[in-house]
Amino acid sequence: MDFTLTPDQAAVLDAIDRLGRQFEAKPTDFDGFALEGNELETELEDGGYFDIAAIPEMGPVTAALAVERLARSPYTAEVALSMLLRPQLGMDLPRPLAVVENGRPGRFVDRARTLLVIDGETIGIAHPDAEDLEPVESLYAYPMGRVTGALSVQALSAEQADLARTWIRVACAAEIAGLMQAAIDATVEHISVRKQFGRALGTFQALRHRMAECAVLAGGVRRLALKAAWSGEPGDAALAAFHAQDSAGKVNYDVHQMTGAMGMTLEMPLHLWTYRMKALLSELGGRGGQAAEVARHCFAGGSGDE
Amino acid sequence: MDFDWTEEQRDFRATVRAFLDDNLPPDWEELAHGPGSAVQTTFSKQFCGALAKAGLLVPHWPARWGGRDADPWASFILAEEMWAAGEPRGGQYMNVNWIGPTLMRFGSEEQQSRYIPPMAQGQTLWCQGFSEPEAGSDLASLRTRADQHGDVYRINGQKIWTSYAGHADTCFLLARTSQGKGGISIFLLPMDTPGITVRQIPSIIGEGDIHEVFFDDVEVPATAMLGEEGQAWTIVREALSLERVGIPRFALASRMLHRAVEVLKRENRFSHGAIDQAARAHAACEAARLGSYNIIDQRCHGQIPGPEASAARFGTVNAERLVAEFVVEHVPEALAGGDAMLQAHHQRAIVAGIASGAAEIQLNLIATELLELPREPR
Repeated sequence: MDFTLTPDQAAVLDAIDRLGRQFEAKPTDFDGFALEGNELETELEDGGYFDIAAIPEMGPVTAALAVERLARSPYTAEVALSMLLRPQLGMDLPRPLAVVENGRPGRFVDRARTLLVIDGETIGIAHPDAEDLEPVESLYAYPMGRVTGALSVQALSAEQADLARTWIRVACAAEIAGLMQAAIDATVEHISVRKQFGRALGTFQALRHRMAECAVLAGGVRRLALKAAWSGEPGDAALAAFHAQDSAGKVNYDVHQMTGAMGMTLEMPLHLWTYRMKALLSELGGRGGQAAEVARHCFAGGSGDE
Repeated sequence: MDFDWTEEQRDFRATVRAFLDDNLPPDWEELAHGPGSAVQTTFSKQFCGALAKAGLLVPHWPARWGGRDADPWASFILAEEMWAAGEPRGGQYMNVNWIGPTLMRFGSEEQQSRYIPPMAQGQTLWCQGFSEPEAGSDLASLRTRADQHGDVYRINGQKIWTSYAGHADTCFLLARTSQGKGGISIFLLPMDTPGITVRQIPSIIGEGDIHEVFFDDVEVPATAMLGEEGQAWTIVREALSLERVGIPRFALASRMLHRAVEVLKRENRFSHGAIDQAARAHAACEAARLGSYNIIDQRCHGQIPGPEASAARFGTVNAERLVAEFVVEHVPEALAGGDAMLQAHHQRAIVAGIASGAAEIQLNLIATELLELPREPR
């Protein structure tokens, strides 16, 4: 048990952090939902960062830390599945990747070169033609899309499908961890300067305690996501995704309450993180789906001891 | 970043578990019912004595004081296993976690040689004389006075909600030696000193857990003071930073959650509502576990844990609450004679957010020091 980063991990994450800093300010003239990070994506591609999980000195933990860090940017790009799922399936999966769950619109589907098509209990892989996809307007602050044409879907074996579910869950948890932290940071900044009744909102204990509780949840989500990325165990992944989706509801509510009308505006970037979290709440069956997996893997017998 | 245990750590945990298997009596779960009862106190002295002989009581203490200079992981693995088993060390866990280390840091040679060896042998019980009727979370307002008369201090006042006081040999006592926040000092006070009266307060936690303690003209030599006059705040802050993640409550909570789920599965009652709640409680336990591990990892790297220790503590409070609620809702019979250990856990869980600094104080610390929100006006 050692939570210190190796020098190699620290160097890569430092580079990711520097990259993230280049994309940390929302353009003042942007007042939409999906702030696309095409330039960020190109930088990641050129730097070879999408493949860091496959480097033995880095591994999926480094990739999860990178996903978490990049999710804090107001700009979004398809990062999580590329960094965390793609190296696990042992096949050539051109990116961007996207999930189509039971025919619903999904994140990055409009531009995906690899689709994970979930139909009930089965998962298949498809490489769609661009004309079979179309963008969908949505509130979710991601570029969303749907499939319009017929897909040629190659079904994954049951074992590969389980592996895919595990890493979709890890990706979901790592991304929510970053989104949650960014939403908390933006809210802390707001309530530190916004004054009512003659003093900063952040001095009122009713708000301080709620923010502190959000911070505790965010820390837990992050650590469970990292542990799941480290172990690759389906139970750890389900638990991380469950805690992320479960905590996101409370954090979303609290940060919007505390930012009040300012948080309702598209001028403040809060919605970029909170509405992305909302998009992730339903993945793989949402909390109920994750809970069933937690029950299957974590309550299969035994004492629950370390 | 590595979430795995070293071989040495695995071996150590296995050794502790084997010790527990060999040394806990068959009726231990019924015995664990009253954490400060006479029965458990007597058992704890015997158990801690055996633990000391096996080199498992204070592995993280310096060799000079009976330890073997093990890193903080050893003490935390030990604490996890002990707490998950229902804490057979009883109140002696405080000696191991913070009273002993605090005396090593701030005690005089005479205090160290008098008090530390019995702790390392598992033969002494301490109580913590902090809270008073008018001073709980607001410890700075305590009123118990220690007035100097030549070479002695005369102590007058009252402590309340004092754990283990009924059987304690010594009290780690906070008393006021002058006015103001800086006017509080610490005394190491033998509990058989004339003028001390202890009354048990019946509580929902279990037999013998909390007490009120009265001090009427109790005289102690000036040499009983720990550190310097007025140094209590510095010492207590350091001691409590050891104690903030001192009790791995998530370990017993997790074990009890799994026990409750096994009951439901046996009776075909582990279905949707229960599954969702069990997942939530389990996630809280594991988040608390990793939050606490983060603090131990910081200690291992020579860092002084900051507000993240408060976050770890609050995470543990959440875990305790969710497991306790799960048991009451889904296995209610456990608290009606159905399962002594589930009941004992429920009785202890309610303390999680109160003992060693209220959960709300932790939230204040997180808000100010971790989130860096502006402070409340005073």
